[in-house]
Amino acid sequence: MPDGPLIVQSDKTLLLEVDHEQAVECRKAIAPFAELERSPEHVHTYRLTPLGLWNARAAGHDAEQVVDTLLTYSRYAVPHALLVDVAETMARYGRLRLEKHPVHGLVLASTDRPVLEEVLRAKKVAGMIGQRVDDDTVAVHASERGNLKQALLKLGWPAEDYAGYVDGEAHPIALAEDGWGLRPYQQEAAESFWHGGSGVVVLPCGAGKTIVGAAAMAHAQATTLILVTNTVSARQWKDELVRRTSLTPDEIGEYSGTVKEVKPVTIATYQVMTTKRGGAYRHLELLDARDWGLIVYDEVHLLPAPIFRMTADLQARRRIGLTATLVREDGREGDVFSLIGPKRYDAPWKDIEAQGYIAPADCVEVRVTLPTSERLTYAVAEPEERYRLASCTHEKVQVVRDLVAAHPGQPTLVIGQYIDQLDELAEKLDAPVIKGETPVKERQRLFEAFRSGEIGLLVVSKVANFSIDLPSAEVAIQVSGSFGSRQEEAQRLGRLLRPKTEGRSAHFYTIVSRDTVDADFAQNRQRFLAEQGYAYRIVDAEDLPA
Amino acid sequence: MTDVATEETGFRSLADQLRSWDDDRLAGLLSARPDLTTPAPHDFGQLASRATVRASLARALDTLTLLELSVLDALVVAGQTTADDVRGIILAEPGAVDTTLARLVDLALAWHGRGGLRAVSGVADALGSGPGSSGLRPRSPDAPPAAEVETRLAGLGKPARAMLEHVAAHGGEADAGSARMTVSPADAATPAEELISRRLLVPLPGRRSTVQLPGEVGLALRGGRTTTEPVDAVPPVVTGERPARLVDTAAAGAAYEVVRRVELLLDHWGSHPPAVLRSGGLAVRDMRATTELLGVDVPTAALVVETASAAGLLSTRADAVGDEVFCPTDAFDSWLEQPPAARWVVLVRAWLASNRLPALVGTRDAQGKTRNALSPELSSYSVAESRAGTLAALAGLAPGEVLAGATGLPSLVERVAWHRPRRPRSRADQVAWTTTEAAVLGVTGLDGLASYSRVLVEGGDPEQALAALLPDPVDHVLLQADLTAVAPGPLESALARQLQLVADVESRGGATVYRFTPGSVRRALDVGWTAVEVHGFLASVSRTPVPQPLSYLVDDAVRTFGTVRVGAAESFLRADDEAALSELLHHPKAAALGLRRLAPTVLVSSTPVDVLLGRLRDLGAAPVVEAADGTVQVLRPDVLRARTPKDRGPSHRSVRESARVSAVVAAVRSGDRAAAVRPSAPGTPLTPSGALAALREAVETGATVLIGYVDNQGVSSERLVDPVSVEGGSLTAHDHRVDDVRTFAVHRITTVRPVEAD
Repeated sequence: MPDGPLIVQSDKTLLLEVDHEQAVECRKAIAPFAELERSPEHVHTYRLTPLGLWNARAAGHDAEQVVDTLLTYSRYAVPHALLVDVAETMARYGRLRLEKHPVHGLVLASTDRPVLEEVLRAKKVAGMIGQRVDDDTVAVHASERGNLKQALLKLGWPAEDYAGYVDGEAHPIALAEDGWGLRPYQQEAAESFWHGGSGVVVLPCGAGKTIVGAAAMAHAQATTLILVTNTVSARQWKDELVRRTSLTPDEIGEYSGTVKEVKPVTIATYQVMTTKRGGAYRHLELLDARDWGLIVYDEVHLLPAPIFRMTADLQARRRIGLTATLVREDGREGDVFSLIGPKRYDAPWKDIEAQGYIAPADCVEVRVTLPTSERLTYAVAEPEERYRLASCTHEKVQVVRDLVAAHPGQPTLVIGQYIDQLDELAEKLDAPVIKGETPVKERQRLFEAFRSGEIGLLVVSKVANFSIDLPSAEVAIQVSGSFGSRQEEAQRLGRLLRPKTEGRSAHFYTIVSRDTVDADFAQNRQRFLAEQGYAYRIVDAEDLPA
Repeated sequence: MTDVATEETGFRSLADQLRSWDDDRLAGLLSARPDLTTPAPHDFGQLASRATVRASLARALDTLTLLELSVLDALVVAGQTTADDVRGIILAEPGAVDTTLARLVDLALAWHGRGGLRAVSGVADALGSGPGSSGLRPRSPDAPPAAEVETRLAGLGKPARAMLEHVAAHGGEADAGSARMTVSPADAATPAEELISRRLLVPLPGRRSTVQLPGEVGLALRGGRTTTEPVDAVPPVVTGERPARLVDTAAAGAAYEVVRRVELLLDHWGSHPPAVLRSGGLAVRDMRATTELLGVDVPTAALVVETASAAGLLSTRADAVGDEVFCPTDAFDSWLEQPPAARWVVLVRAWLASNRLPALVGTRDAQGKTRNALSPELSSYSVAESRAGTLAALAGLAPGEVLAGATGLPSLVERVAWHRPRRPRSRADQVAWTTTEAAVLGVTGLDGLASYSRVLVEGGDPEQALAALLPDPVDHVLLQADLTAVAPGPLESALARQLQLVADVESRGGATVYRFTPGSVRRALDVGWTAVEVHGFLASVSRTPVPQPLSYLVDDAVRTFGTVRVGAAESFLRADDEAALSELLHHPKAAALGLRRLAPTVLVSSTPVDVLLGRLRDLGAAPVVEAADGTVQVLRPDVLRARTPKDRGPSHRSVRESARVSAVVAAVRSGDRAAAVRPSAPGTPLTPSGALAALREAVETGATVLIGYVDNQGVSSERLVDPVSVEGGSLTAHDHRVDDVRTFAVHRITTVRPVEAD
């Protein structure tokens, strides 16, 4: 009986024992086709999904390789049904191909006529296809390229897209590598993307996804549309691009709620793109404003549904998605696969941390006990009020103070959900606060001051969750959050993971009220951290070193 | 019996031949044809007559191979003949024919008559046109030698030859129309008359214009043999190559899986028993729940359910309100104690012997009703035999040989059908089901028989061989900060059960993933574990340090859980919480309980436990009862068990049967001796069964008998008859008095007396 590091479960999960001598080798071998689900300290869990297997096919792996890998590293007999399923699933990818035809334009071609017949008869596909060219080929309306791919994926016959891309309007962009260089994994990510045509790059928060985007633009040498989550993030992209590339501020436009510029490189927010007026999306013309050569999607896992619909019409343009995780809370991973593209690069959090590109983090949950009076209020409160009551307890203020005091001289962020609580904390801690109503200019000033070390303590609301680069932050104290969002946890932790001077580790505190919904939600988030491989501790507030 | 008859000289009747056999040979016959023994025949006459009854013959023929059927058919075609002759007209290895003939004699399907070897009467009918039948008529009694037939054939004109071949190909019987039946070759005017004149077609006695092709002519047309294809060629099984090691690991993986599934299912049903339908089966809804529980499709779930039931691990009992429910038996508990390999053997042996058809579960019957698992009608007498046949065929392949992808299964069906060609009609289905079920049960892997299954099929004990392939049980888990525990292999049974108490199972397979939640920890506390015990357990099963969040979780669960515990051993109370005891001790209403402090955390009481418990509860305490050995007696939801059905296992059955067979042999002999010493007084009224036996014997021997017969008017008379057949309560015989064939009701026959042939 081979003593491999891998255990293949019949529910299609793969358990990898990390302390095994072959573990590293095995991880490399299974990473292309299995999605890492959890990576706690001893046993990592991967899952085999159709999308994962198709991603592997897109990257050039075949079923035989996958089966062979499973058999090679598996400790026990591999369930026969699972092997059959892997082979069958993988064989489905690429039976259908979208191609360019000299006469008919875009066509759907197949090497397997029954499959073609099957999908042509499907209701979902009706209306997207034109006349039959020959037995194995059928014309496709060019405008339906994205919708057809989506529909085919739902039918279980994902099509390979060989139809190519338009070059777009050329625009010179080069990386300005003065005093810094692309990290090896960033280089690899940008190149895998470029060779694959379109697709998604998965990198942990803090690993420099913006740089990968810039590198992709340097490859494309064309006008670029960048879609980001919010305005602050848009500004940061702009700053970063000015700093890292040959682009000048004049070449970069912002298209947001306040400013609407269209320049060779335009950064738009999801929000403005999805704003409806009179039942119609008002800003769709942006998509046609220029002949874009590349479209960058930041935080793909948050891509709102209307953007998906718009993306379906942009299939002839190169697309790169950047994200920390392919997991979407709404389960639309399939749309990301078919509309933006397969996963082109993936490096797990811990690996990049081990290479020293992101800082290790020490996660601590501090539990406070509600005083009796607050317990009573809590007990009789309406359910929808409970979370707010529990997470805004005054007990937390003292704990935050203690924690801030415990880390003198270390730039610290206090992050919360409720404005009242943040205002109170800001007052008690005598620190500036950034919240939704803070003007963008003021926000940028404060962030800059924090970055430069002028301010050592900043209280921020959820506006700082995404894509705000605060590389100097070393301590984050979370006092309340949007219920149990794992997404938010990842983002907040991401703020801390920029590498620190002297290799210091970051500290991530979450303050939680014991025996309340606050603690229940916290459990969700802790689980996420533990699954990401972060050791976390739970301490009682009374036990904190004062 | 004055002259000693042997197989060489031939016997007067089948009964005589049987009488000459030794006990072993008789026992062999009775074991092979068990229907002959119920009820035990009185004497050899009755035994012989019963062996020639149509129903019994049909059953016997069902157990023959294609070769045996073909040889029997040749014997029918040949009529009374020699073994040499039979060898001559069968296209098969002479050695194989000899062995087969001997077996047919042993089965009392053929016997050595005075005129040579012959099939028992009725065989021709029983064979019909089914498998093995060549479609040829028996040879005419006065058949000319083969060479003569050849000459006659050679002299035919083209149209006559074509007509003859047409008749031969279409059942060997034809309507001659207006052709003259008595005509010389020279006068023959039509092809039909030409054939009739040369006796290549002969008129059928008693039928005006029908002619038939006599056996000798049919043989000549087929080149002297009953068939044109060899009948001893066993169809080959189409195979592919797979490393034997892979076959074994794949099969062992499945074997382990099925054991696990049975355990999972019955564990669940122990606490959540599904109701028994009025028709006796498992409801479709419960079946669906089972597929979800096991994470498998309906056929697999049905197989698990049916196999568990066949192995006696699952039965029915009345639940608390008196409704019938399915629940595990007490045999399930002892089954659980065994190692996985032994458990598998129990399951698979039960499956092999079972006559159930799990594959039909979920399909619809002719009325469109869904067939339910465990419903009584889902069984077939032949399926166990199909399974055995299929596995035997697979065992015939070399290790590493597996069924070929597309053609393997059909070839296997053909092979199995060769061994039992007559029945059942659903053979192809049954073989296919067997291969599917065998794969699920881990009897086969990658469509090849696993090495340990080979041991099983050959009658050995596969446990050792299988155990070597199954993952070794592990005695530790890996605890992780995300509050999961991973057992990197099958856990030792006791450990697994403890862990299942403290944590929820999240993923199963070669390894098991458990998740700790406040709820699961509380569950352990509910059953009486203390914080210290939980911590101790975690520390002892974990190979790595217990993660801090897990310890915290346990402590947090304990913090909100009650702390007082009470022992049942002659009334003592102990608790980790001194204050709680003090409170009890000083409670004004506790005076009558006679409480006394034994140690800071222990009280004793003079009140019997049952009374004490109630009193303590009245006082507001929440006591838990402890057994004498210090373990906690817990009140948990009842886990139901039914009695194991008293299954008549195959081993018991065979012992009992061999005992029965020898008893029958003894009884037949003594009955026969009694009949021999009884003066054969002519006219002595016979019992109906005696009359039947005597008549059948006369049919066999072609003897003339004198029967006493009471006619419709109640007039008794004696008739001299040549019995032709006895069937359905009536005797068909040639009546000498009227010189015609007449039918007599057997129950009106009062006497049967042999008439010495002159």
